[in-house]
Amino acid sequence: MDFDAIVVGSGITGGWAAKELTEAGLKVLMIERGREIRHQQDYDTEMKAPWEMPFRGIGDTEMYLKQHPVQMLNRHFTEYTEKHFVNDAENPYSTAPGTDFTWFRSYQLGGRSLTWGRQSYRWSDYDFGANARDGHGTDWPIRYADLAPWYDKVEEFIGVSGQSEGLKQLPDGKFQPGMALNAVEQHVRSAILERWPERCLTIGRTANMTQAKPDEGRAACQYRSICARGCSFGAYFSTQSSTLPAAKKTGRLTVITDAVVEGLDFDPATRRVTAVRYSDTKTKQTHRATSRIVFLNAGAFNSVHVLLNSASEAAPNGLANSSGVLGTHIMDHANTLSALALMPGFEKHTSFGNRPTGVVLARYRNMDALDGVGHSRGFSFQGGAFQSTWTAGRRDAGIGEAYKEKLRHPGMWRMVLVGFADCLPRATNRLTLDRSRLDANGLPTLKVQFAFGKEEGAALAQAKAEATEMLTAAGGVVIAGGDQPGAGGTAIHEMGGARMGHDPATSVLNKWSQAHDVANLFVTDGAQMSSTACQNPSLTYMALTARACDAAVSMLRENRI
Amino acid sequence: MVKHATDGWERRDFLGGAALLALLIGIPVAAIKLDDLPADEAPTDRQRLLMSHVAQLVIPRTETPGAGDVGAGDFVLLALAHGLSGSSDPITPETLPGLSGHLRHDGSLRHADWLESDLDRRSNGNFLRKGIDQAKILGGLDAEAYADGMDKHPWRTIKTLILTGYYTSQAGGSQELRYEPVPGRWEPDLPVTPDTRAISNDWTAVDFG
Repeated sequence: MDFDAIVVGSGITGGWAAKELTEAGLKVLMIERGREIRHQQDYDTEMKAPWEMPFRGIGDTEMYLKQHPVQMLNRHFTEYTEKHFVNDAENPYSTAPGTDFTWFRSYQLGGRSLTWGRQSYRWSDYDFGANARDGHGTDWPIRYADLAPWYDKVEEFIGVSGQSEGLKQLPDGKFQPGMALNAVEQHVRSAILERWPERCLTIGRTANMTQAKPDEGRAACQYRSICARGCSFGAYFSTQSSTLPAAKKTGRLTVITDAVVEGLDFDPATRRVTAVRYSDTKTKQTHRATSRIVFLNAGAFNSVHVLLNSASEAAPNGLANSSGVLGTHIMDHANTLSALALMPGFEKHTSFGNRPTGVVLARYRNMDALDGVGHSRGFSFQGGAFQSTWTAGRRDAGIGEAYKEKLRHPGMWRMVLVGFADCLPRATNRLTLDRSRLDANGLPTLKVQFAFGKEEGAALAQAKAEATEMLTAAGGVVIAGGDQPGAGGTAIHEMGGARMGHDPATSVLNKWSQAHDVANLFVTDGAQMSSTACQNPSLTYMALTARACDAAVSMLRENRI
Repeated sequence: MVKHATDGWERRDFLGGAALLALLIGIPVAAIKLDDLPADEAPTDRQRLLMSHVAQLVIPRTETPGAGDVGAGDFVLLALAHGLSGSSDPITPETLPGLSGHLRHDGSLRHADWLESDLDRRSNGNFLRKGIDQAKILGGLDAEAYADGMDKHPWRTIKTLILTGYYTSQAGGSQELRYEPVPGRWEPDLPVTPDTRAISNDWTAVDFG
């Protein structure tokens, strides 16, 4: 064997797998399809001012429409960050008729850990028990207690700032001190609590540190809120700032970049993966690497791609797919701007610094009582209050000195609540390979078939009505709101496709994120998810990865795999 | 005192006003490269002069430079040629008189051509003629573009780009407003005083403001 373990992908979960496995004493190969980006050395635009950018930070729309027509729809995609997102023209995918799906991707060392939104929330037993309760999807084979110690470990290592609130539906964690609410948010929190004591608006729990970790070379947040450019302070969690240095420190990690995994070789006699086949994206030469175990962390859809593309005579429908559910039950949160309100009365208040998180208003529906209207799961809100600056001038009539003087000062406060609703797992929402359309590496492209259903629409309708009610109760004047979800993928929480479950006949992975069919194969990114909850999922991916690594190492030591 | 940038605008290959300002006060800026544009998108010298005047009328020189001073006019022309702020989206020409003569094949509007034509029409021939009350004429166009019920208007697009060109310039972003690249702290509740200036790189406000 070349290695003890091969980790496919270097993003949020790939970094964690590399860290945990190397620290456990394993010799690990990490394979990344994109280019190398070195911490603190390759964040080319990090310190640039707008006037140092050819298109002032907005970017060349004409070029984006040709090269990045999907990625340009991502709020974090700017002239500063464009190189942290894929070129869509070179990395095509297709959609089934009627499907509107935006697949946001970052192919580079660190993957989307460089560009993620950093919101870090624990799931609760309302979430792990959701499928069993309402019968959608398949039951999770784990519950909160299985994951709680791993959440502890992950939060302490990556650095999550937040406020403990004692909420059963949004369990507290090992938090660094939370960032403060601004004056408007504090007022809205109080106004909501006064009328609806069960509704808690709190500061976002974010992987931006408020306390330095000097032993790990990481400083506290500098309140720039330009994280997606890369942060030389190491103040937010990324592979580069956090897990990769830890894995490298062991001396047991080998990293190969610019190498796309084509598939896994499978020995039907032993029912083991015997090699990982990868192609050098520059020379186009194919190589094989061998290891005792393989962790797939290529990102939810791309891990499914690897498995589907590993079809063989012994596994004609794709590796680890004796159930036939591989690629099915993909999900993404249904989200929309539920309410936008003007917040008069705070004209004498302002703030300083770019806080890199908004607020969260935790789920309060369909917990112990089923009180959702037309839906059986949860929705929560993220958002915040902010003042306008010069861009507000585009809405205002006027020219000349008075107009300039008006724009010189902070503008009116507004508050937004963006609803995130649970997405039901559906067999009809699925990924398939399109072998008639190849990408630049000669690999078949993914075809996405996806639609939200009436449950998501009902949840967002209730979210809109209640967001409006809450902001109005807090003195706001609601001027806009929506109840229709954006395109699939908009939440950038695409997940599922290799779901975890009790039964090998109806799921791909067992409770250890281990393939039912292939004992030395683990899938620990978003592909393993059996439901979505209404919280951001990355923290849960990380906790599941750490837990799976621990299990895999035990199995190896006991010669069970 | 900031030198007025129009002095050098006879030369097509001259850098924009922001670059001139940079030379004067020693800050790095990205050059505004109009000479890279394809021939059918390249503005005429008159359009450059007109757009500079227009930018300066929107954001005039006070104790800080105006938008024309810092080359916002050239930025607008560059931005229009590259489709920023939705300026290359197809339009419905019937919504306003005078648009249909300035369409590209794809149905988008050549904003600079339209603006030149529109302002000249409002000036009975030449908006740049000496003695013309440019502020009054542009103010009239602005009032029409922001009249009740008018949610889309090509002037709004141009004005948006003037604001971008100005407030993302060094002078607009860090002299007229505050530019805080490394705040280093978060202060959630501070009093507003008459001297409180908006922060040009308050990114949430920039995105959603």
